Amino acid sequence: MAENILVIGGGPAGLHAAIELAELGVNVSLVERDTFFGGNPKKFKYKYLFPDLQPAENVIGELIKGAESNNNIKKYLSANIESFKEDGKKFSAVIKSSTGSETKTFDSVIVATGFEHFDPAKDSKYSYQLFDDVIDIKDLERMMGEGNFTRPSNGKPPKNVAIILCVGSRDRHVGNQYCSRVCCTVSVKQAIELKEHFPETEVYIFYMDIRTYGFYEDLYWKAMEEHDVQIVKGRVAEITSGPDNTVICKGEDTLLRGPFEIPFDMVVLASGMEGGPQSPEMADKLGIELDEHGFLKQANVTLSPFKSNKDGIFLAGACTGPKAIADAILEGGAAAMDAYIYAKKNS
Amino acid sequence: MEYDENGVSIVSNDFKKEIFEEAKKDFRYEEYVRGCLNCGVCTGGCPPHRFFDFSPRMVLQNCKSNDPALVWGMMDEYVWACFQCFTCAMICPFLNNPGGVIAILREISVRRGFESAKKVLKPYSRVLLKLTAYGNQLSPDMIQPDFFPDWGPHIGYASEDLPLKRKAIPMPTLQVTNLAWDVAPEAMKELYTIFEEAGVFKIIEVVDPSLYEIIQDIVDDVRSE
Repeated sequence: MAENILVIGGGPAGLHAAIELAELGVNVSLVERDTFFGGNPKKFKYKYLFPDLQPAENVIGELIKGAESNNNIKKYLSANIESFKEDGKKFSAVIKSSTGSETKTFDSVIVATGFEHFDPAKDSKYSYQLFDDVIDIKDLERMMGEGNFTRPSNGKPPKNVAIILCVGSRDRHVGNQYCSRVCCTVSVKQAIELKEHFPETEVYIFYMDIRTYGFYEDLYWKAMEEHDVQIVKGRVAEITSGPDNTVICKGEDTLLRGPFEIPFDMVVLASGMEGGPQSPEMADKLGIELDEHGFLKQANVTLSPFKSNKDGIFLAGACTGPKAIADAILEGGAAAMDAYIYAKKNS
Repeated sequence: MEYDENGVSIVSNDFKKEIFEEAKKDFRYEEYVRGCLNCGVCTGGCPPHRFFDFSPRMVLQNCKSNDPALVWGMMDEYVWACFQCFTCAMICPFLNNPGGVIAILREISVRRGFESAKKVLKPYSRVLLKLTAYGNQLSPDMIQPDFFPDWGPHIGYASEDLPLKRKAIPMPTLQVTNLAWDVAPEAMKELYTIFEEAGVFKIIEVVDPSLYEIIQDIVDDVRSE
């Protein structure tokens, strides 16, 4: 008899885990709270993925197609886990979706509930939602996905753009002490895209550190060498309104120019990643642990990063911390292997 | 007192070390000085940084350097440039408090009666005298061109014919110019007790010995009434 495995979350990690398990002949139940699969990349219409700038649609589209065409995967959209309990080595869950409630027994469970973008309105110094031309990383990604690179206030091309890193990350005031890992790379990628679209536009990146780790290092070299993006060390202290429908970024260029107040046509806040309300909700429902940063806790961060603290429940993707889409997909596969082994042993 | 080319008073290395140790021993120091990666958000938001060579980032970095000479370099002029608005503390992602460090250093400067502290506090001796003598901070007769340059070109007119102008105010003014309001002797005596307990008299004795003598005479007079 085939194993039954529950995958919670239909983003990159969950989709990949579901496909891998289905390929092994497992009966997969894939539960997604939204009306569509694809997670945040789909929801916020990400355009290109770093580092090779391949269209997000190709990657996510491929995963969705793989899941949708596989008959071993039972798909639940607009669904949630209404109740969950352990049943010996197995788990019993009530899945509620638009088609009603269904009670099922599973041999193991993969949680891939992902992350939420930090809401920059929580940090008042950036004046997000106060000025139309102050947008954040996901807003710009969506705009670019729709082919729109212009200023939200008047629809004209921006003369200059400021990109501010570490918004909602590495900041004890907002409660997120961690680095969100991907925003530097995404921001540099967006700077290059902006410059490719509007070569005349001046693009500034204000940083505390540039963490385009590993091979992504090339990306900011490219931004500087091929596109003359200005990369300035200094975190912006305040954003206010300026003359001629501009927004003024005030801060300190800690290496070269000292204090600055520069009027910009557009400001992009590189808001980080948070565990979101779904992480504590899952922890509560499934009886697994939350870490001090608000993400789901790995049993052993090096030795068993895909296990939760409860046997038979596994974790994949950004629900355990900020990570790139490539890493989330990779983790989906790894968690699928762990979940399969557990199911095989106990079914 | 001799000064080096940067306007910093010349003292021995041991003395610099002693001052730095005194700052570090303050119970607030550990809370105020944490990690710092030179992001500059504090200085970016710092109002005096727009006008003076003053940077809360440098305050923090000087402390983190563990170099007593760098900390001493701030003791003369530098610490007095801060507005004590604590914008830096409100926006630092590490929760550092450069303004708080300034407060600690200023208190050392005052406690030890450094020249810079005496100079900066000199204009306040009038206020202290008024406070101990009458329980008022400010009275009309203190409005003099020398002391209120920030009132602009009208300060001359504002400081003339005070008794007459006082009479023209259509509300109770005691009809005097040396008082803003009447303070009961009981309140004054309580104020002296607070000053004594909080060490204010001791600070005045260090910073301005002659002012201290005058104030003590006033305190004795009021207390014997």
